Amino acid sequence: MSKFTAAEIRRQVERFLPKVLKPSRYLGSEWNAIKKDWANTEVHMAFAFPDVYEVGMSHLGTRILYHLVNSFPEFLCERVFAPWVDMEETMREKEIPLYALESFQPLQAFDVVGFTLQYEMSFTNILNMLDLAGIPLRSEERGPGDPWIIAGGPCAFNPEPLVGFIDFFLLGESEEQLPEVLHLIAEQKLNPLPRRDFLRKVAQVQGVYVPDFYHVTYKPDGRIESIEAEAGVPAVVEKAIVQDLDQAFFPTNPIVPYLEIVHDRMMLEVMRGCSRGCRFCQAGMLYRPVRERSQETLFKQMEELLRSTGYDEVALTSLSSGDYSCIQPVIESILEKHGEEGVGVSLPSLRVDSFDVDLAESVQKTRKSGLTFAPEAGSQRLRDVINKGVTEQNLLEAVEAAFQKGWSTIKLYFMVGLPTETQEDIDGIIDLAKKVANLGTKLGRRNITVTISTSFFVPKPHTPFQWEPQEAKASVDLKQRYLREKLRDRRFKYNYHDVKTSYLEAVFAKGDRRLAPLLEWAVKHGARFDGWGEQFREDIWMDAFKEFGIDPHFYANRVMDYDDILPWEHLESGVTKQFLVSEHHRALQESKTIDCRHEECTGCGICPGRGVQIDLKG
Amino acid sequence: MSAMRLRIAYTKIEDARYIAHLDLTRVFERAVRRAGIAMSYTEGFNQRPKISFGFALAVGTEGEREYVDIDIQRELDLGDVLGRIQEQLPPGIRLLQGRALNQGAKPLMAVLNAASYRIRILMALPILPERLQEAVADWLAREQVIYSRFTKKGPTDKDIRPWVKRLEGEIHGDEIIFELEVEMGNAGSVRPEEVLASLRELENLPLDMEELHIRRTGVHVSYQGENSSPLEHDGFVQLAEL
Repeated sequence: MSKFTAAEIRRQVERFLPKVLKPSRYLGSEWNAIKKDWANTEVHMAFAFPDVYEVGMSHLGTRILYHLVNSFPEFLCERVFAPWVDMEETMREKEIPLYALESFQPLQAFDVVGFTLQYEMSFTNILNMLDLAGIPLRSEERGPGDPWIIAGGPCAFNPEPLVGFIDFFLLGESEEQLPEVLHLIAEQKLNPLPRRDFLRKVAQVQGVYVPDFYHVTYKPDGRIESIEAEAGVPAVVEKAIVQDLDQAFFPTNPIVPYLEIVHDRMMLEVMRGCSRGCRFCQAGMLYRPVRERSQETLFKQMEELLRSTGYDEVALTSLSSGDYSCIQPVIESILEKHGEEGVGVSLPSLRVDSFDVDLAESVQKTRKSGLTFAPEAGSQRLRDVINKGVTEQNLLEAVEAAFQKGWSTIKLYFMVGLPTETQEDIDGIIDLAKKVANLGTKLGRRNITVTISTSFFVPKPHTPFQWEPQEAKASVDLKQRYLREKLRDRRFKYNYHDVKTSYLEAVFAKGDRRLAPLLEWAVKHGARFDGWGEQFREDIWMDAFKEFGIDPHFYANRVMDYDDILPWEHLESGVTKQFLVSEHHRALQESKTIDCRHEECTGCGICPGRGVQIDLKG
Repeated sequence: MSAMRLRIAYTKIEDARYIAHLDLTRVFERAVRRAGIAMSYTEGFNQRPKISFGFALAVGTEGEREYVDIDIQRELDLGDVLGRIQEQLPPGIRLLQGRALNQGAKPLMAVLNAASYRIRILMALPILPERLQEAVADWLAREQVIYSRFTKKGPTDKDIRPWVKRLEGEIHGDEIIFELEVEMGNAGSVRPEEVLASLRELENLPLDMEELHIRRTGVHVSYQGENSSPLEHDGFVQLAEL
């Protein structure tokens, strides 16, 4: 398969492209796409997003790193996404290897293929993409002629199920770390070292985890006995952090796709990190400390983005943009300057306790499409357990203001299966939904729709709930059915997640490297796009667990002990285990923890000794 | 309010042929915005820029000369406007010619009623030139050509003959080049691949339907057997060549 040249791939692909769904997913000629000269660049990297184009192109991190790498004259970076099933079928039938969009070069021709690990349910797509590229799946089967296969993103903080396939992982923020790694690869191309020597060198870069150098042993009961690092690599890998977000690289000439993508607008990253401290939230722990961008920087980026993209909407993105200290002046100023040209602002997430109805109104230009709030749990008690902070009063006040300003659609997000959850908490969801709907009726709003969405809680590594088991599938299924029955009212719309997928997600989130061969087997038997309901094949996974004699409950439903060695024990987010234990205790005591942005330090451990600190601009 | 309505002829070739019709509005909208030209918007609840096209081109089919109408807020020099928009368009979309329309000019969809195509198709078996001419003539001589179209509701039979105004074929090496002209209207039309599939089936012509390349060579305002371009319509203000 590697015999294909870029020109030959293009010729072949163009013959059937009109027949596949959404063919403009597979071109590389979008506005602002960067086509560099292959011969005049030292390192060729393919940035791989293991999901379809529309999802991958909506991811800000992918956009940042694509443009960052290309900003170095010596590097070339191209994109590749998981081809949708119809495209894959045709490519396999015609034996066309997976190619990068810009040049149509096969992935095999690149020096590095870098995957981003955004969610566990995309792991199968990674292996499938390597297979489609004709690249050996196992690191040990790859030679000097094959690309380095690397990966980063939130799931790199427990990438153990991918050990054996990925040569090394990048933990944390890659803005400085990735170019450093690519420079080492450039050096390696000029003066090649033996594989392990090169890996040892890469392992010295902040946040780089080379799993080959870490050896895991197990107890007879299946728990981990030890994780030993070889000499010459860090015993614990610490994530990389961008010190000054305000000065950090940010692309203001992003690619403008032909087809409509999930988040089809300009993005301004107003801050990074969130210290609200929700105990279920992995991102809130992984991206500390909170660092904001200054208004001046944002305004400058905004002007450049407008000129280079032609979009008429900008999203102010972060984990919780309502908490950005300059949110009000930034929105006002953008609308004042560009509102007349039809430019609108959107905020991806609003917390009810920092909700301001005027703010919400100013960002909802013409259509009041609906406001989304995430109380996450149905009772105050359970919201205190998860440290969500918000109260029923916060929510009702926010909703009241929204109804008065003319909204009639309110969306509420909850999780089911949270630690300590009881029937009362489930009834609390119904109760809250009814209160919201009744409030609307009382205020004279007609045609109210309250959409209630529940997802199935997945305990994630590096959170205070990492030791918690996931609730049994069957009982969560019952809870969701119960909600469906109770929310049968024309004012309500109830959406819920399929428990089977969330269960598998828990297995892989908390999984270890013994799952790697199973993952490979599942891919060989057809598992892919597991996050896409209609593509998910539970039967393959159940067969896979049987085939390898692995009990999925061991990973998803076992209560872990504080003394247990966790599969990710050697990988550090900067938040200490001691803090997570204390937060877990406080959760069980239904005791809240404050936000260190506005009050004293909570001792999570991220700031000391790393040269970073909370950076607020307002 | 619009100060100026532009009617522009453009190509949709190379990579641009894969842009779906629905996405094309966005492509133009963003290009015009990047060019720094203020567009006029529709009134009402959900304001959209006033951009409209003629009949959709199927995804993957190239268009040598397609048309778009764009309303802009200020009266500007036509050549300058076209030049600025061209700089902001992706590869494969090249502006060929433009005109400023009078307010009240009929929209493209109301004036366009015919299209011509050039189709290159591989022969599955060698065909003699006489055999080809005979097949085409026989097909055209039919009063009715029933074609089974597969829709969401299942197969429906349709007479496609009335739509076909002209069909000619010529052999070049191992392929045949067909020139096809069809009527188009609100009542629908016929797709070029349907005509060829029917020709293959009814006249036993061994055409390789897997290997065909379709190009729309033009869309026309057809009146009493004469084709004219929607740019040659009455009531234009100025014409700019690129």
